[in-house]
Amino acid sequence: MFRFIAADLRRHWIGVLAVTLILALAVALGVVVTLQERALRLGSARAAAAFDLVVGAPGSETQLILSAVFLQPAPLPLMPGSVLAGLLADPRVAWAAPVGFGDFVDDFPIVGTTQALVNGLGRLTEGRASARLGEAVVGAAVPKAMGAVFHPMHGQIQGPAEVHGGISYQIVGRLAPTGTPWDRAVLVPIEAVWRVHGQEAEAAGHGEEPRPRSLSDAHQRHRDFAPDLDRPIRPEAFADPSAPGLPAIVVKPRTIADAYKLRRDYRGEHTLAVFPGEVLTRLYATLGDARQVVALIAVGAQGLVGAAILLVVVVHVLQRRRQIGALRAFGAPRLVVFAIVWLEVLALLGAGLLAGAGLGYLAARLVSRTLEGASGIALPVVFAPADAGVLALVFAVGALAATLPALLAYRQSPAAALRG
Amino acid sequence: MPGLAIRDLEVRFPGLEQPALAIPALDLPAGAHVAVTGPSGCGKTTLLNILTGLERARHGAVSWQGTDLSALSEGARDRWRAAHVGLVMQEFHLFPGLSAVENVLLPQRLSHLRLGGETKAEAARLLARVGIGNPRQPVETLSRGQMQRVAVARALLARPGILVADEPTASLDAEAGAAVADLLLELAGETGATLIIATHDPRLTGRLERVLRLDGGRLAPGAERA
Repeated sequence: MFRFIAADLRRHWIGVLAVTLILALAVALGVVVTLQERALRLGSARAAAAFDLVVGAPGSETQLILSAVFLQPAPLPLMPGSVLAGLLADPRVAWAAPVGFGDFVDDFPIVGTTQALVNGLGRLTEGRASARLGEAVVGAAVPKAMGAVFHPMHGQIQGPAEVHGGISYQIVGRLAPTGTPWDRAVLVPIEAVWRVHGQEAEAAGHGEEPRPRSLSDAHQRHRDFAPDLDRPIRPEAFADPSAPGLPAIVVKPRTIADAYKLRRDYRGEHTLAVFPGEVLTRLYATLGDARQVVALIAVGAQGLVGAAILLVVVVHVLQRRRQIGALRAFGAPRLVVFAIVWLEVLALLGAGLLAGAGLGYLAARLVSRTLEGASGIALPVVFAPADAGVLALVFAVGALAATLPALLAYRQSPAAALRG
Repeated sequence: MPGLAIRDLEVRFPGLEQPALAIPALDLPAGAHVAVTGPSGCGKTTLLNILTGLERARHGAVSWQGTDLSALSEGARDRWRAAHVGLVMQEFHLFPGLSAVENVLLPQRLSHLRLGGETKAEAARLLARVGIGNPRQPVETLSRGQMQRVAVARALLARPGILVADEPTASLDAEAGAAVADLLLELAGETGATLIIATHDPRLTGRLERVLRLDGGRLAPGAERA
């Protein structure tokens, strides 16, 4: 029987191939949706793993997390410099580090921070930590050589940008890959960022500088501004309550209980404390809704493809009713005729499902790689045990539908074979 | 070898006033060689369908050696046919993609879990007997005459007591048709099987010991030649 099935499938190989391919594509559609959504969840959760608690100025929690954890550029409101000083002095805090941004080099965000965050992100694979204000440590995915010197740019290449021509950083270290957007970050001492943007001067109240007379004058001054970065980092500067304002602070609490207490204490009029997890959970809910819509569309497409293929199989069985009748006329039992048609459809279905899972996996990998290149977030494409259940369910539904043409063949009168 | 006894057989198709087939009585001794002839639409195919159990006789009795086909269920008729009837058809019904020997073995393969070495040896013997030199040759590459000879070998594999052929020579040229006719007669004689051939071919009817002429579903009286 199996030899007959194999010979029959081989003889109709073009049709078999076409049907299998269509099935595979329909299945791949659903697989990609599932895998990609899972990749986004896993990737974003892993990217946020190093960030227990983020403190910022009151505003959008989501924007705070997107900016501080995922380095999405957005103008965040600043909180007073005293907040960092307070956190650094807090016994419940293992470490706290500022996150200040705004500048870019090429397409890579420059993040002003401290050694604590560099340590929190992982170890260095090359070079050493920054010791002077003009020294930068780069993420694993930043294609710049050790010792390279660059000028920061205000804004990104695509948008309106302005090069800080008078300022230059030198790369002295490189971080191990983390699979997070921080792989694409250029870390510089926060003090340097303050200086570049003249905040320290303002905070210190240097009022003698004359106001720019015009907008172009102001731009010119911005371009020519050349603060002195050839100074060692002074850790005590962060702990200074009169330090300049900060958009975000990453906090590592000592215990889980401390984390909840800190979150409560820092949710107030002047600050906002957020667990990245709670924001991600909300984002996942939205993502889940979107996935559900897309998944429904995919299921609809699969249903239509299934119905079309069922029709093709039924027409095929009807066209071959004389041949099927002949099988029975020669003595093949009805159940065998049923089994032949059923197993042939199951073979197509099985091959289509497996190929679809493979195609879907490859497509998800491709999408993930493209997104990884753009965001720096590692998006792991993995199958979960539940996926096998879904595929088995699709197979079961298909097997049930396949009984229709099989029954048609089963009921085929053997006398039809004799009629001329 | 089974002999045939038909009593009060009447086959009607919906919408037709006249019965498609009406045979009050017909007896054939076991091992008889019989031709069924008549114009198209005379009921030849209907008679063959009834005789082989492909269709059920709703009215009357069709008994082969005491087994009344009209009393059997569809499944039982399938089993009876597989055990007792070898079929040869005008359009061969060989399955492309399989070799000659696989085609001969196919009905047995589909109804048995395992094939004994005996069956395989018998298939090879039959193919040699019908003059197919290469049993491994794919059937679609055979000539039409060769195809029908493979079909004859297939019909005989289960050593049936009844050999039924429906226009076995109609789609063949004269030479190939004659070769197939020779084979059918010789093999039926060798195995002692009852041979029933529906045919228009006068060269074939002339070689059979008895001719049943059907007209409008009835056996023409006096047209029978002993």
